[in-house]
Amino acid sequence: MRAHEATAKRYAKALYELARESGDAEAIERELEQVAEVCESDPAVSGVLTRPWIKPADRRAVAAAVAQKLGARKLVEDFVGLVADRRRADHLREIVAAYQNLVDAGLGRVRAQVRGAVALTDEEKQQLSARLERALGKRILLEEQVDATLLGGFVAQIGSLILDGSLDGQLARMRQRLARG
Amino acid sequence: MIRVLAIAVLLLAGLPAAGLANEGGGLINLDKSIVIQAINFFLLLLILGKLLYKPLLTMMDNRTQAIRKSLEEAQAARADAQREREEHAAKLQAAYAEAQAIRATALREAAEEQRRLVEAARGEASRLVEAARNEMAQEVTRARQELRQGVADLAISVAERLIRKSLRDEDHRRIVQDAIARVDKVN
Repeated sequence: MRAHEATAKRYAKALYELARESGDAEAIERELEQVAEVCESDPAVSGVLTRPWIKPADRRAVAAAVAQKLGARKLVEDFVGLVADRRRADHLREIVAAYQNLVDAGLGRVRAQVRGAVALTDEEKQQLSARLERALGKRILLEEQVDATLLGGFVAQIGSLILDGSLDGQLARMRQRLARG
Repeated sequence: MIRVLAIAVLLLAGLPAAGLANEGGGLINLDKSIVIQAINFFLLLLILGKLLYKPLLTMMDNRTQAIRKSLEEAQAARADAQREREEHAAKLQAAYAEAQAIRATALREAAEEQRRLVEAARGEASRLVEAARNEMAQEVTRARQELRQGVADLAISVAERLIRKSLRDEDHRRIVQDAIARVDKVN
């Protein structure tokens, strides 16, 4: 896994350098994420990209076709083609994560993974982002996920920082206080 | 010997009186035969003195010596016995004193050992009581903790079920707003 990450970082860094030159780093991030999503979720595509006996040229063509179909720009198309050619398609998820880290670092922002009992409204997202940015002094990119196991509220994770605004957390703290007496 | 001669002289001195009393023909006649009788008497006395009296004296003397020797030996033996008795008494006294000393030492050591054992037993008992007390306190603490935990689990479980049933959308929105408001307290 560590070897995967190191390889993914090398590819991500190379792509980020090119993307920064073009000034489309964020757009490329979104396109790359979509391509990686299709390559992973579509069994036919992932089968072609990961089977070793399929020719590198064919793998490259399939990956480029997927990118093209999703409307990705030429840089993304060439990049996923190269990744498939080098038999690194199974690294795509890690490459996307490493690329996001590079883009975030370049833009001075951090990602906040917000897990909520119900979906946040746009207004709530804006309020939460604004308050997090004020509290942390960085730009915040919210990644929301609905978790039906939560009773209410949300849990936000920014790096190693966890903000527990859920009813579950409050009940857990209450349980500890009751147990302590 | 002198006493024998004295007796003989007394007998001879009494003869004339006896002769005078028995002039009419008694047991002893005062005539020439008296001399012969006297000579016979002295001869007999001499022979008896040689043959019987001297050995008798020698025997008596020997007997006296033997008795004296026996007495002396008895005396010596008695002295030895006395000395030995005194020695034995001294030894007995020393042995008694030593026995007394040993007994006193043994009693002292026994008392010391008894005191030490009692102290050790008391210490051990105290330690056991303390350990039991600590263990009991821990058990009570653990039981209380388990009871608190059980009560807390039950209460929270019931609360979760009730909240899940009763939460409406406006409640979710309010909870989210409260949570967003608490973000300012991060720093």
